[in-house]
Amino acid sequence: MQAKDFHDSVRPGLIAMLPRLKRFADVLGGGRDAGGGLLRRALQYMLAEQHLYQRGTALDVWAFSEVYRQWRHELSGQADPMAQAKIDDAAFAALFDIDGEGHRDEPVIAFLMGLPPQQRLTLLLVYGEGFEHEDAGRILDVSSEMIAARLIRMSASLSDRLSERPPAQAAAIVETLYPEWHRASP
Amino acid sequence: MTELSDELLVAYVDGQLARKQTRAIDKVLEQDDVLEARVTALKHAHARLEAAFEAILAGEEAEISQATVLPPDDGFWVPWRTFKIAAASAGIVLALAFAALGYGWPVSLPGLGSSPAADIGPVPGTDAAPSTGSAQRAGPAPQVELEVLPEPRPGP
Repeated sequence: MQAKDFHDSVRPGLIAMLPRLKRFADVLGGGRDAGGGLLRRALQYMLAEQHLYQRGTALDVWAFSEVYRQWRHELSGQADPMAQAKIDDAAFAALFDIDGEGHRDEPVIAFLMGLPPQQRLTLLLVYGEGFEHEDAGRILDVSSEMIAARLIRMSASLSDRLSERPPAQAAAIVETLYPEWHRASP
Repeated sequence: MTELSDELLVAYVDGQLARKQTRAIDKVLEQDDVLEARVTALKHAHARLEAAFEAILAGEEAEISQATVLPPDDGFWVPWRTFKIAAASAGIVLALAFAALGYGWPVSLPGLGSSPAADIGPVPGTDAAPSTGSAQRAGPAPQVELEVLPEPRPGP
């Protein structure tokens, strides 16, 4: 395989999937500005190190995993990684605006906003991108079982939140720690 | 009421179960309204998640296409193909113009522009103007006075 083949296969492929990569980076970074910067740095790395891409593997899986790896690398260099991972609510909500028009699904946006980045990405990769659990796990560097567990937890939580059933109060949650017969007794 | 875990129901909604398991759950859902409502709620949640992610992607595509298609603010934008055609046409026109100026082409070619007689001028010894060509079309031929020298007499 010649070097030119590498160049011709990786670069056009990355260009073709730019909107998808930008969405991934935006959801990860928590906004357009943060996502744009993250994607730019990740693309520079990918183009400089494109020989690391192995033919036969899906280019999108490789590219998404490189963006995620770049994010983790930058986060690990911070003194307080947890603080850096927090997102600006307004910037994140602006991701769902289409030219300032259209309906914004506020409950879903609020739900996504409250999730850690890895869990947001799990939902995006499976329900937004349509990846199999194995590929999503490859991108996020976790097992497919972990992906499935996250999906179960978040799907149940979101459907509870969206259903007409009122959310359980904190006191009620504590009460469920005890068996029914114990609560019934005085 | 049948007890089915969220784990199983989410896998069912996501299409992760084997065909036999899916059929079994289909049968249970036909008989259990509570479970059916739960599955409907899960599908509804997934649909709204997909719609939300689609909205982000639509915004990204619009932003990227806007950045690549719109011309810069100053000046005007011409497609590269149009520019190449215009440059080639201008080159051909310039080449023809230089050929016309430098070599008299196509005026000097016989049958084009003017007649050879007009280029050569009136035939010495005659006062007749050329009968064809641009000179005749332009108006009456100019009168040319010729000095006719007497023929030398042969010597004795």
